Amino acid sequence: MSPILLIAVPLGLAFIIPLLALASRKLPAYVPAVGMLFNLVVSLYLLPSVLSKPIVVRTAGFAPPFSIHLVAGPLGILLAALIALVGLLVAIYATGYIREGSVPRYHALYLLLLVGATGIVLTGDLFNLFVFFEILCISSYALVGYRGDKAGIESAVKYLIQGAIGSSLVLVGIGFLYGLFGTLSMADIAGNIHSVRPITVFISMAFLVTGFGVEAAIFPLNAWLPDAHSSAPSSISAILSGIAIKAGLYAVARVLFTVYGAETFLPFILVLGLLTLLVGEMSAFSQNNIKRLLAYSSMGQMGLIVFALGLASAASVEGALFLVVSHGLAKALLFLSVGYMIYRTGSMEISSLHGMAKRMPVSSLCFAIGAFSLVGLPPFIGFPGKFMVVRAALEKGDALYTVLVAIALLGTVVEGAYFFRIVQGLYFKPAPEGAVAETGEGREAPFSALLPACVLAAAILVVGVCPQILTDYVGPAASDLLDKAAYIRHVLGV
Amino acid sequence: MRKLISVTLLLVIVMIAVFSVSHAMFGAEGARRTGGLREDGVNFGRRYNNRALDETGAANVVAAVVVSYRGFDTLGEVTVLFVAALGLGALLYGARREKNAKEREPASLIVFTGCRFLFPLVLLFGAYVLAHGHVTPGGGFQGGAIVASGFVLVYLGCRGTLPAGRLAAAESLSGLAFVVIGFIGLAVGGSFLLNFLPRGTPLALFSAGVIPVIYVAIGLKVGSELGGIIGNLAGEVSE
Amino acid sequence: MSFLEDYVHYGGCFALIMVGLYVVLVKSNLIKVIIGINLIDTGINLFLISAGYIRTGTAPIFSGAAQEPGKMVDPVPQALVLTAIVIGVSVLALALSLAIRLHGHYDTLDLRKIKELRW
Repeated sequence: MSPILLIAVPLGLAFIIPLLALASRKLPAYVPAVGMLFNLVVSLYLLPSVLSKPIVVRTAGFAPPFSIHLVAGPLGILLAALIALVGLLVAIYATGYIREGSVPRYHALYLLLLVGATGIVLTGDLFNLFVFFEILCISSYALVGYRGDKAGIESAVKYLIQGAIGSSLVLVGIGFLYGLFGTLSMADIAGNIHSVRPITVFISMAFLVTGFGVEAAIFPLNAWLPDAHSSAPSSISAILSGIAIKAGLYAVARVLFTVYGAETFLPFILVLGLLTLLVGEMSAFSQNNIKRLLAYSSMGQMGLIVFALGLASAASVEGALFLVVSHGLAKALLFLSVGYMIYRTGSMEISSLHGMAKRMPVSSLCFAIGAFSLVGLPPFIGFPGKFMVVRAALEKGDALYTVLVAIALLGTVVEGAYFFRIVQGLYFKPAPEGAVAETGEGREAPFSALLPACVLAAAILVVGVCPQILTDYVGPAASDLLDKAAYIRHVLGV
Repeated sequence: MRKLISVTLLLVIVMIAVFSVSHAMFGAEGARRTGGLREDGVNFGRRYNNRALDETGAANVVAAVVVSYRGFDTLGEVTVLFVAALGLGALLYGARREKNAKEREPASLIVFTGCRFLFPLVLLFGAYVLAHGHVTPGGGFQGGAIVASGFVLVYLGCRGTLPAGRLAAAESLSGLAFVVIGFIGLAVGGSFLLNFLPRGTPLALFSAGVIPVIYVAIGLKVGSELGGIIGNLAGEVSE
Repeated sequence: MSFLEDYVHYGGCFALIMVGLYVVLVKSNLIKVIIGINLIDTGINLFLISAGYIRTGTAPIFSGAAQEPGKMVDPVPQALVLTAIVIGVSVLALALSLAIRLHGHYDTLDLRKIKELRW
């Protein structure tokens, strides 16, 4: 049971989809769900065995660093499991939600997006990281514009231009690294990084971090995010907010921590994370459009995760990884529950969602659970994550970190304010005039939409009540990211 | 104002980049002159040049690197092209475009006859390039691009159309063939994309193990994919 | 003088990248921006190949009887550039299809006029 199956099998299934489309119209819709179910089973099976020592998979029979190798450590397999879980649930949602346009192509693009994300978290070679990053980016450009409406195409164009420049910067950085070291394996470069003057290395690091940072939506590179996440179909918004920006952030983190081991750059990352958090939460507060609000909220949460990574202690990285999982689940849940609400009312304004609790009770409950989890209230999964980050910042002891984490908590307060306002509107405000007549009483979302939403809500509750399920895996994953020497030793055997 | 800022910014970035390149041992040329980082030939492809003929049997070292040593990247690259073709088809699916008068006019007699004469020759040349990728410069991508230029000739010169369904089927089947070859390598030798066929004598057509087979699959895929993209841009998008 | 000989190709590719970035940042026609992205990609591919170049090196193909592996240029950047060119073409194709759809909606390709999504 090799980790390469996590990439190769869904890839093969994606190649089959056009052939299936020639045979039957409805069959391609189920292929992504099958692929992601396979991925979920394999990654959960592999997870206990990689906790102590990562599995290094070689391709083409040659030893690393002469061939491309995958390094399936606890962090990689944990993120692959998250991608598989969220991907599976959103795929089930999409079987009912996506009805117009070229449906087989949608499902093939969706499966390839997930293959790209899985490839990013599992690979150990720098250029391979770039290729899978491109698979992720290009399929998301196409999926953002899938519906073909004015807003979608415009957002896709802006996203494409910024993303293409970001990818070019990554390629320049890889060119610099190859010209300096002659090898492309991340472990090999990491081992040799100190034999070159720091200023030269710094330039390539700047290019790489900026390039990957466009996809990870770090301030000031995230101008594309509100448009793209709000204009895409809701299932794609869920995947973009839940998975794609996390994959970009993983690329940034892997490059910074493992390849460069850059301690001096970390305060800069800290400040950037804080800025992203504040900009995201403040902008979300003043929004009227529900999907744009959720997109800005994603930006804010990514800022918090980047802040936690910038603190760079074992406890804070554990908290950051816990937040990655909790935000992935919660944001996907929010977008999924909002999707049918928007479809039924035909508008994305928050005021048209007032009183939804009477018409779509299950969706509203799921939205409320997701919102409370994101804010960080106790019985939900968001609480342990934020608690770990705050405690790690306070453990640092420096007064500066206490001030910074207080600013971060201010962002959380703002977030709580706007989410509570929405939930209050869902439950306690009367529906707008004529809305009940249009949508009808008791027209809840179909089963294909409720099932994934309820599974996500259940996961949020279960892990929130006993977080030990996740913390057992997050600990080794954090040391996978931080411990550079162990990584090099496992890959190169030196 | 925006122009001035952007030009100064770019000049600064370029100067920094060139400065950093010139002061370190950079590139294969730099390594050759300053002695390089390591003696075992790991850096700068010296190892690939020395050992490719023995380990893979391919006379073209670049083909050995592309398909064998870094074959997983090539699989990813083929996937990127697939994603672009799918995305293009999905985006143009809802667009309604009328062909204007100029597009409906038939081509002149010389162009029409010439294209019909040249099309099979272009396909033959493309097939030659893609099948001999492991012994001469060339390979799947180059051959596939030549095949696709034949398709462009059909669209522009003969005003003909191509069977979109069969192109899409060819594209999927060849992509699937690439993945299946990888899996066979995994089953036989324990490594994805292992070179499991015999090496043969160098410079023969049937040498270098599985490399020409993969190149043929890639060439078919790229050719039919680019042909499909041209077809979509010309206005025929299938379901 | 030797500096110029050795690094003129690096200067050339950075000039290409700079021209491409200028076009993307300053021009307002979408097709010109797409061409600018393509220029950047071309410059970067040239940069990657230059990193593997040896003076008086030969192509890495054993096409004759006596070919010295020691004098061949580096084959790895050539493989990387193969992949990078294909990725550049893919982005170009997708960008052009988006331009077609955008023109269908707005009847113009001027990016200054396409600002429907505001704050």
